[in-house]
Order: sequence, then structure tokens, then C-alpha cells
Amino acid sequence: MIQDTASSAAAPRPWQLPAAIAAALLVGFGITVLVSAEPWRAWLALLTGALPDIRFSDAEGWQVRRLVRFGSVIEEAITLTFLGLAIAIPFRARQFSLGADGQMFLSALAAAAVSLALGGMGYGAFAVLPAAFAAAVLTGFTWGLVPGWLKARYGANEIVTTLMLNLIAVQLYRLVITQWMNDPNAGFLTTPVLPAAALLPNLLPRTNVSAMLFLVPFVVLGAGLLLTRTTVGYEIRTVGQAPAFARQVGMPVKRTVVLSMALGGIFAAFAGVHVSNALLKRLPVDLTPGMAFEGLVVALLARNEPRAIPMAAFLYAYLRAGAQAMERTSDVSREVVLVIQAFIILFVVSERLLPATWSPARLLQWVRAPRAPKEAR
Amino acid sequence: MSLDLAGWTLFAATIVVAVLRATTPILFAALGGLVSDLAGSINVALEGLMLIAAFFGVMGAVYAAQWWPGLPGWACAWLGCAAGLAAVLLVTATLGFFHLELGADLIVAGIAVNLLAAGLTVFLLVTLVGDKGSTAGLSSPALPSLHIPGLGGLPALDMLINGEGGHGHHVLVYTAFLAVAAVWIFLSRTRYGAWLRAVGENPQAALGAGIPVKRMRYVALLTSGLLAGLGGIYLSMGYLTLFQADMTAGRGFLALAAVFLGARRPLGTLAAALLFGASAVLATQLGALALPTQVVYMVPPFVTLCALVFAGRHKPARTGTDTNTDTKNTGRKGPPISSERLSA
Repeated sequence: MIQDTASSAAAPRPWQLPAAIAAALLVGFGITVLVSAEPWRAWLALLTGALPDIRFSDAEGWQVRRLVRFGSVIEEAITLTFLGLAIAIPFRARQFSLGADGQMFLSALAAAAVSLALGGMGYGAFAVLPAAFAAAVLTGFTWGLVPGWLKARYGANEIVTTLMLNLIAVQLYRLVITQWMNDPNAGFLTTPVLPAAALLPNLLPRTNVSAMLFLVPFVVLGAGLLLTRTTVGYEIRTVGQAPAFARQVGMPVKRTVVLSMALGGIFAAFAGVHVSNALLKRLPVDLTPGMAFEGLVVALLARNEPRAIPMAAFLYAYLRAGAQAMERTSDVSREVVLVIQAFIILFVVSERLLPATWSPARLLQWVRAPRAPKEAR
Repeated sequence: MSLDLAGWTLFAATIVVAVLRATTPILFAALGGLVSDLAGSINVALEGLMLIAAFFGVMGAVYAAQWWPGLPGWACAWLGCAAGLAAVLLVTATLGFFHLELGADLIVAGIAVNLLAAGLTVFLLVTLVGDKGSTAGLSSPALPSLHIPGLGGLPALDMLINGEGGHGHHVLVYTAFLAVAAVWIFLSRTRYGAWLRAVGENPQAALGAGIPVKRMRYVALLTSGLLAGLGGIYLSMGYLTLFQADMTAGRGFLALAAVFLGARRPLGTLAAALLFGASAVLATQLGALALPTQVVYMVPPFVTLCALVFAGRHKPARTGTDTNTDTKNTGRKGPPISSERLSA
């Protein structure tokens, strides 16, 4: 009776995702051609700039260069996978919660605070890391409960509340770091460097790719199992797909709405730990907000299907790294990727490639007797 | 004592003027959000649409001055205004096309338009101006202010009517408050307004009654784009006389909140927009105290949350997944974030 959004929407149109990405890239290229003197070079950089440079020469043998940049793609893909999951879980309950940003900021702060406190007391990694994860997950969950509760109890629109809560969370983060966690020796506003016991082991030299990479499959699997194999997951999918049916059979719709947003917070918390304990190793006061929107694109590209999210995250991280390469080597700024991103979303969520009214028969009808088309929306 | 009183009146008038200035962009966008919301098309792209209009308004005025050097400043400003509105209508039409013709979910498409606006404005800013932050290097004109003479004898009243420095209020400040009346008349006194609300209440019934549903939704979206665009143009050609990256700073989302807070009525929306304007002014006034700036920045979003809680305290909670049957019971329609689009 209940069908999955992901499977039912994606299965009959396997060509749509590549077509959408190609169409969006075309639009982006069109805009670039209008304003750039060297569009081809810019686009070569955009599409290949993130690749490591592998060369063979007789003198030096095989050489791999630019691994740092490819490392940054993997780093970002990990963060985006978690943020994508954080957006996708509430989306499956038809909750447009954009609160992943605030959840990530506060979770990173909690993880850093616990790491500093426990690490300062001399505990080893086996005590500090789980404690940091626990603190972050708890924070993300709690901060996710707030918009859920506001929605269930007061009917407050979750787009507005999560955005407002993001603003509050970012300011709270800055307040705590400025007032209580500032390292006076750093020269800028930031927390002290996290103790070694709190850091995730590094995998690739000169990059920040850490053991978090091994955790990603398990988290993705966990999200998938949560949706498909648990009662809460079933309720989330049902409330999202058929709210009337969910209410009719007596499902706790409100509790499901609240839980979907709070559970999303858990995945944002993983992104927070990744930022604080693996990528930056300390938290600067000017950490850039807005990553949640990137997570949104990832979730939409993956059609909110956990299994597909790592692929979408990698694709998008690849595009972003390419955009930075493009900005350095050509006259096109990297914001063009935001435009491409917007069109990817628009094409991915479109249900048709051409308006239904544009079939020749309908056009003739329109010409003969201009009147409202038959369907409502 | 009387001097003290005069001082306080003057101070109060300054505050009122500041609130009016802070309210204007939110009010425009909120009226836009109201019109599209009543037609059943929630417009979450208000933020991006404001940004688009703000950018193209400034650039239009700058290019008009470059292309026709003989043109007086005020004409450039109005040409810029027209360019901004044209751009915003184009982007809104794109949004409407993807939603109404290609079946894209309106909320997701609206979020995409916000991204598009944030990216496109900065991208074009870098390309055309060579600056990633703002158009501060260019001299762009502002739209005029309206001065009402003959009030020099009453400083407080003069301050209230003509603003700080006695230049008068910006023409778009007046327009915003006139727009409240216009929207109210349109929605409750014209046939098109009734059609529009009917489409929002029950599209199937409206279709059955012979109302062109899709056309009304286009009208609603374009109107909301136009109004949000005026708000954006006020930001870049009145409030400031330059464009800054992300200069809307969440006002479009505040406007969305104002629609819900104002119980989806023009006057309620006006009151909510005034509240948000006042909370922004309150934040700047608190800045004079010894509070950390972060606490000050938390005030407007916190006020918004409190207001949403206050607005929803007596209503049976809507979870946004409610269907039309429930809206009949509560007498008003929830935000149309229902699942019906999935099956459409």
C-alpha cells in the first residue's frame, strides 16, 4: 500500500538524474560563455580540477600529485554525507527541516568542549572519543527536538523555525567560543587545539582524511536500517507518503514529526564531530555557516535514499573542489557552482521534461479555444 | 520638564522612523508571501527574489548611467528599478514554470531559487564589478524620498513625517504601506482576489467552478515576486545605496514567518512585519549596552520564534501533513506542505 518515494519515483526514470545533471551543467556553461573570455579552459578546470595528477616518467617512475586537493574532496564528501542524511531523514516524513546547520555547529561545539575537558584530564582516546561522540549526538538530537516540538505543539512552520534556530545556534556558538573557550595565545578567536587523544587517526598524509571514512558506511547503513527496519522508520515513511492514512490507522503522527527532525540531528552531529575532531582540530569563531544547504542538494540528488547519499555527496564535493580550481586558473568565480546546483535541484525535482500542455494536440486545442488546462496543478 | 518631554518625543519619533525603515523590506516580501500563500502556493523563494531585485536594480541604474550619459540621476534610478523588477519577474516566472508546468515541488524549487539568487548575484558581481563583497566601488543612485514641507515648527512631527535629516521618507516606504491597502482591496473586494483565495482553499472545487486555477497561481506567484522585488530594491536603492552579497540577511524568511504570524491576513501581516522591524531596531538599540554582540543578534530570531509560538498557542497543532479535511475543521488552511504533490 505504501510505496517508497525513492524507489517509485526513481525506478521508472533511471535516465533522469544524469539528464538533470547534464542539463544543469549546460545551463551553467551557457552562463559562463556569456561572461567569460575563456569558457573552455574554465570548464576543463571545473570538471577535472579535483582529480589527482598521476603521471609516469622514465626518470621518476609513477608520480601522484595534487593528492591534497583530492583529499579535500573526500573530507568534504564525508561531511556532506552526514549532512545529507540529516536533511533526508526529516524529508522522508515531509518535514522541510533545514536545521542541520545549527545542529552541526552546536554538536561540533559540544564535541570540542568534551574533548578539551576530558583530554585535559589525561584520559586516553578510548574514553575521550566516545564521550565526544555522545555529547555531539545528544546535542544534535536535542536541538532537533526544538523545531519538531514547535511544529507539533504550535503548528510553527518548520522552514522558518529551523532557519531562526540556525541563526540562534550560530550566535550561541560564537558567544561560547568568544566568552568561555577562547585560546588567548592563538592570535585569533578560536578554541585551543584539541588534545591528541580526541583526534581521529589520519589516513592520508598532508590531508585531513581520517578514520571517519570507515565510519561512513556504518552510519549510512544505520540510516537505511532506521528507515526500513524500525517502527519509527516505517512511521516516518508513512507520515511522509500518506499522512491521512497514517492518522487513520492511529499512528502517532506528531511524535513521528518530532522524532524525524531530532533523528536528523544525530546525523548532523556526526558532521559536527567530523569538523571539530578531524578536519579543523580546533573551532574558530568564524566557521562558515550554510553547509546545510549543500547537504540539502545532496539529499535531493539522492532522492532522500540513504544508500545513494554518499555517491551524491562525492559528486557534489568533486564539483566544489573543481570550482575552486576553476576560480584559481580562470576568470570565472566559483559561485557559478551555486547556479549549477540550483538548476540541478530544479531539474531533479521536475516530473516532466516538457509541460503536459505542450503536446501537439493540446497546443492545437489551446490555439483554437484558449482556456484553462484540465489539471489543477 | 517640558524640554525633557520634547527630547523624549523626538527620541520616540526617531525610533518610529527607524522601525518604519526596518519594516519596509519585510513588509513588501510578507505581502508577496501572503498573496502566493493564499493561492495555495507557498513561496519560500522570497529571500532569493529580494536579492535578485536588489542586485539588478543597482546594476540596471549603473548601466543606464553608462549607456546614456546625458540621463539625469533620477531617471537612471527608475530605470534600475524597472530592471530589478523585470529580473525578479523573469526568475519568478522560471519558478512558476518549473512548478506549474514541469511538476516540481514548489518548496524545493523555491529553495533552489534561493541558491540560484545567492550564486548568480555574487557570480555576476565578481564578473561585472570585480568585487566579491559589494558594489561599493560604483556610485549608484537611490530612488527619491518624498519631503512634506511646512513642519519645521514641530520637530517631533517633522521627524516623524520627514525622517532623520528632514529629507522625507523613501518613496518605497510609502509604497509599502499603500501596498497593504492595495493587497487588502485586491483580496477582499475584487473578483480576481476571490478567485485567488478560492484556488488556495480548494483547487478542485475552484476548477469545477470554472476558475482558471493554473493562471491564478501564475498571477499569485508573479505578484509575490513583484512585491518581494520591491522589498529588495528598497534595500539596495533606499536603505543602502549599494548592493552587498547576501544583503537580504534572512528578511525573506522573516517575511514568511510574518505571513503565518499575521494569520494570513493583510493587516495581521502588517502587524507582524512591524514587530519584526521593531525587533531589528531593538537589537541595534541593545548594541549600545554592554551586552555581547552575539546576544544582540539572537534577539530578532528569538522574537520570531516567540511570536510563532504565541500565534499557535490556541490552535490545534497542524503538523503540515494535514489534508484538506482538517482545514475545514480549523477554519483555515495549513501551509500547503501536504503530500498531494507526490501523487500529482
